[in-house]
Amino acid sequence: MTLLAVDIGGTFTDLMAFDEVSEGFYQAKSLTTPHDLAQGILDCIHKSGLEIGGAGDVIHGTTQAINTLIERKGAKTALLVTKGTRDVYTIGRGNRPESYNLLFHRHRPLVPRSLTFEVEERILAGGDVRDQMDPAQLDPICDRLKSLDIEAVAVCFLHAYANPLHEQLAGEVLAQRLPDIYVSLSHEILREYREFERTSTTVVNAYIGPRMSGYVQGLEQRLHDIGFKGDLSIMQSNGGVMAPDVAVKKPVNMMESGPVGGIIASAEVGGALGYDDVISFDMGGTTAKASLIRDRQATTAEGYYVGGYASGDPVMAPVVDVVEVGAGGGSIAWIDDVGALKVGPQSSGADPGPICYAGGGREPTITDANVILGRVGASDFLGGEMPLDLEGAIAGTKEKVAGPLGMDVYEAAQAIVRIAITKMSLAVREVSVEKGYDPRDFAMFASGGAGPLHAVAIARELHIPTVIIPRFPAHFSALGMLMADERQDFIQTCLAGLEQVDFSVLERIHDEMVEQAKAELKLGDNMEFQVKLDLRYVGQEFTLSVPVSLDLIKAGDVEAIRKAYDELHELRYAHHAADEPVEVVNLRLVATGRRPALALPRIGADGSGMEPKRRQVYLDDPTAPVACPVHERTALGPGFEFEGPALVQEYASTTVMFAGDRCRVAETGELIVSVGLDA
Amino acid sequence: MSTRLDPVTLEVVRSAFPAIANEMAADLQRTSYNMMIYEVRDFCTAVVKPNGELVSQNVGGVSHFVADLGVVIEDGMEKIGADGFQPGDVIITNHQRVAGQHLNNIVIYTPFFFEGELIFFSMVRAHWIDVGGMSTGFGGGPDVADPWMEGLQFDQLKIYEAGERNETLYKLIHDNIRFPESSLGDMRSQIAACRLATRRLEELFEKFGPGVIHAALDRIFDETERKCRNVVTGIADGVYEAEAFLTDDGIEIGEPIRIHAKVTVAGSGMTIDLSGCADARRAAINSRTLAGARVAYKALTAPTEPVNEGSFRAVDVVIPEGNIMMAVYPAPMCMWSIIVPTVVDTVIRAVAPGMKDTIPAAHYGLLGGPVVFTGIHPKTGKRFIVQSIEGGGWGGRPHENGESATVSVCQGDVRNATIEGIELKCPVIIEERTLRTDSGGAGRYRGGLGMQTTVEVLVDGTWICEPPKRGEICPAWGLWEGKPGKVGEFLYRTPGEEEFSLADTPRNLLPKNSQLIVRTGGGGGWGNPLEREAVLVADDVKEGYVSAGAARDDYGVVIDDATQEVDRPATEELRSKRRAAARTAAE
Repeated sequence: MTLLAVDIGGTFTDLMAFDEVSEGFYQAKSLTTPHDLAQGILDCIHKSGLEIGGAGDVIHGTTQAINTLIERKGAKTALLVTKGTRDVYTIGRGNRPESYNLLFHRHRPLVPRSLTFEVEERILAGGDVRDQMDPAQLDPICDRLKSLDIEAVAVCFLHAYANPLHEQLAGEVLAQRLPDIYVSLSHEILREYREFERTSTTVVNAYIGPRMSGYVQGLEQRLHDIGFKGDLSIMQSNGGVMAPDVAVKKPVNMMESGPVGGIIASAEVGGALGYDDVISFDMGGTTAKASLIRDRQATTAEGYYVGGYASGDPVMAPVVDVVEVGAGGGSIAWIDDVGALKVGPQSSGADPGPICYAGGGREPTITDANVILGRVGASDFLGGEMPLDLEGAIAGTKEKVAGPLGMDVYEAAQAIVRIAITKMSLAVREVSVEKGYDPRDFAMFASGGAGPLHAVAIARELHIPTVIIPRFPAHFSALGMLMADERQDFIQTCLAGLEQVDFSVLERIHDEMVEQAKAELKLGDNMEFQVKLDLRYVGQEFTLSVPVSLDLIKAGDVEAIRKAYDELHELRYAHHAADEPVEVVNLRLVATGRRPALALPRIGADGSGMEPKRRQVYLDDPTAPVACPVHERTALGPGFEFEGPALVQEYASTTVMFAGDRCRVAETGELIVSVGLDA
Repeated sequence: MSTRLDPVTLEVVRSAFPAIANEMAADLQRTSYNMMIYEVRDFCTAVVKPNGELVSQNVGGVSHFVADLGVVIEDGMEKIGADGFQPGDVIITNHQRVAGQHLNNIVIYTPFFFEGELIFFSMVRAHWIDVGGMSTGFGGGPDVADPWMEGLQFDQLKIYEAGERNETLYKLIHDNIRFPESSLGDMRSQIAACRLATRRLEELFEKFGPGVIHAALDRIFDETERKCRNVVTGIADGVYEAEAFLTDDGIEIGEPIRIHAKVTVAGSGMTIDLSGCADARRAAINSRTLAGARVAYKALTAPTEPVNEGSFRAVDVVIPEGNIMMAVYPAPMCMWSIIVPTVVDTVIRAVAPGMKDTIPAAHYGLLGGPVVFTGIHPKTGKRFIVQSIEGGGWGGRPHENGESATVSVCQGDVRNATIEGIELKCPVIIEERTLRTDSGGAGRYRGGLGMQTTVEVLVDGTWICEPPKRGEICPAWGLWEGKPGKVGEFLYRTPGEEEFSLADTPRNLLPKNSQLIVRTGGGGGWGNPLEREAVLVADDVKEGYVSAGAARDDYGVVIDDATQEVDRPATEELRSKRRAAARTAAE
């Protein structure tokens, strides 16, 4: 059987397939077709030469959900709220994260005030109904929605996370009166208190709902039309996949599916190689991303802000925790108004691109610096298909950086790369050191076209002992999708003191979540459940999610639960308060449908390295290039070992190793670099 | 001494220090026990040199903490002596003789040594929910007569000495504050944040050594200073002035408090002279702070850059002793910051003619609209406190409307408390949180709207509000013919009463089922409202931001009742009449 993953990005649609019988990988790439994305997928499948009728699963990730939001191309959406709260969504939290900025902007609401309707109803914090909702009051609202050609409706009533009765009633009326309108009820999206964040998440879901549900259903149909008989799965922000019918209801969970693939692949490939704790590092053309994996599990955050914390839209859906910095191959080096050298966040993008691409770019970039230093071979780029303009890169870097700083051009190029490495190291620090983890206990996976170029240098900064360059580093994201499990996250606010909480209630909530999970997950045979309690010391606002077993909840083992919390607090913040009372805020359930692990094939046994070419490369010393061996990756067989300084070239990437580093090629083809930390 | 400083090392050090301060802030915020820290973010974290120079400070917290950290360290060095510190010491201080803020703002700091030498202090100033006396919640009111009545005063005391806690001092604090779990929990978080900084500083110093780091810091301060100077150079030289008023100080009713700023621009230098502000008052709205001038300078020069000593080198601030912002101990200071946003706005208003393209009209110049109610929770028998800060309108800008319902220029990343969060913890119902139609000042670009929050209290308790106000004598002003915004107010109604009454005392005992309303004002308008595009006015009417009546009266735009669209001929006629009237009046 064949597994097939398709990852749609802004420029390219990537396909990666694995045939379990022949143990072979297939790759294909085609231009993304924005007017008809599904067509791009079919093109890509066609190009790969795969027989779609024999494919068991198609896993699909797309940036379309987030683009629909960012480009403001969603549905005409209305919002129904509790009386008195019409402006809660617009007001948000009233904050100004840019403290001194007199021209600060808050999030831009997706629903105008004129399309926000108040409903007479009121539920209290405990879930008791204070004012019953008379459904008849919805009739005139429905008439108005119809006359305004509304395409989607979000409903968010106060305390609906505790008692969804009124939202359910409203949902029934809307479904009956306006069957063609897409409806999102807040309690179906998020059962957590904080009305603004829940409203925003529900509104985003409704706003992208009609387009994304149409897309998913259309894709399913067209795959079926070309003979596909297996299951389609949709990649989610939480690092798992979901069935199409779930995606149709909760498209908000697809928002961050882009960076997720590489993280899953790091966890899976890392685990297969015996590294359970890894840092995933991905560097592309405009940004670099870091993420931490422990015990083969990606860390997730409970939510994020699309467009940034200061002015973005809050989406409180679990998302793989990624720290992103504006440093990619195309990031521009520049001198600021007081003469300091800066790199990024502006990027030359794909067009015009770095100077060396000879596409009209005039600003020196990180890629140009790497070409000047000889780390990227000007005549070997993309297997020699695209010769790079070394002279242009040198001239541009001299003019814009080296000249103004009074430096030699090699020194300048070295400085550009090192500043980029500093920035990226901060991102890696943020996911590790700042969360209480010691990078020395981790291995780092480098992916993205530019990841392998810089990973070893970053590892040195942070004393990470091992760097792993996977196969297909530039297609790692699609590879990861092939390995993604099915996953659904559930949450329920249930505020009570840990000493007072009724554990039988928690158990009941848990059981209901399990029931719902069973209805939504199709990999039912291999289902696993992880229970977490969001806990805090009484008086605190922020919680920590503490993994607990169902047995602890059944037994009401307060002591063990609080011990786990104290320990996690100590790990994360370096202090805890063993004498302070603890309270339960939310119960969470992560339901995972395990996909059988992909058996990574052994690479060919021959070719333990033909004699490498050599070229002059500037590594540690910008005044003295070294005659550096340049290995062709395809020629490196399993078990082959070599030492730095060395470069390893492959089609879309180059790995840089320094003196003191050692590399061994794994049976399954990964480069495992032991970083020479004392060098 | 010249240490060779390559551009890479410079960038590493440059990014390291803000990262340390910000990590301290994130740590504190997530582990703190009171909403003043985790929601209001009423704190700052910093690394300071023993001579008081600011190495780095977090971004995003309360803006007015950008001043007055160095003076605390200078004072500590004087009192304790450079030889008096050792590793493991933790100092607590809040004394108004030095940094004149309310006593709730507790500074915790620890020394950082490298190779036996005292290098820096890491410090956290954070608002405790109570320090005894009258300080509960956001802090005491204007009627608090002196610091002893306000709460506990700590004058550079070691709560830990060489790692050992001073149990007597600890117990004294514990027994004399109302929410010891909360405040001492916060103290724990403050200490943990300082220790975190110490660990990070150790790594940094081990890597680069003191010589390189000090050289890099000197260079970074110089660059920051130069950036600020570059902006000021763009303002025409001259003397710029503006004044504003608070209606009164909440005690001597009807006696306005003058705020005045004289800003002198000469080349790249700026002097902000606040000598024209009122003298210190008997009411507790005094302070001893450079915050008003510094927040304004920061906003005008480099609003999104990290803060360090260089940020303020090129500005001279003149405030004479005895001024309301340079009050002399023991002047009462528990509402120390209430006037600061207006001071900031006044400085900005002064230089507006020199920076016409970037400066907005005035915002709601108080510290938002506080919602504070405290009593005993019937379920737990324990004291509860509702605390939220509701935003006001911001002024119209040179190219767009002002933001609505947003906290003041001094508050930064201060978040309101959510309705659901409040109701989960406290016996109250938030009936309404809504924007106030017509509260934004009319202008070519409209001022943002103020808001109204209505609360029903379910138990007897105390409602605390802030009577010193910007009333009708000085609402948020417009710029360039823009109109002022509506002012804010506090109203309440006890059970059985039909009408709401204005609250004019800081503490009000309310019986259960009373209702209270907190209204914040709107921002001023920018430019002549007669020049606002008529269709934008019609949109505002459709959205309910402006009433049809105000569209006609303030903007000269006539909206057709039936279609909700602009009645073009009627609008043209009305607007030309208005323009003619304005010309006549001008002549």
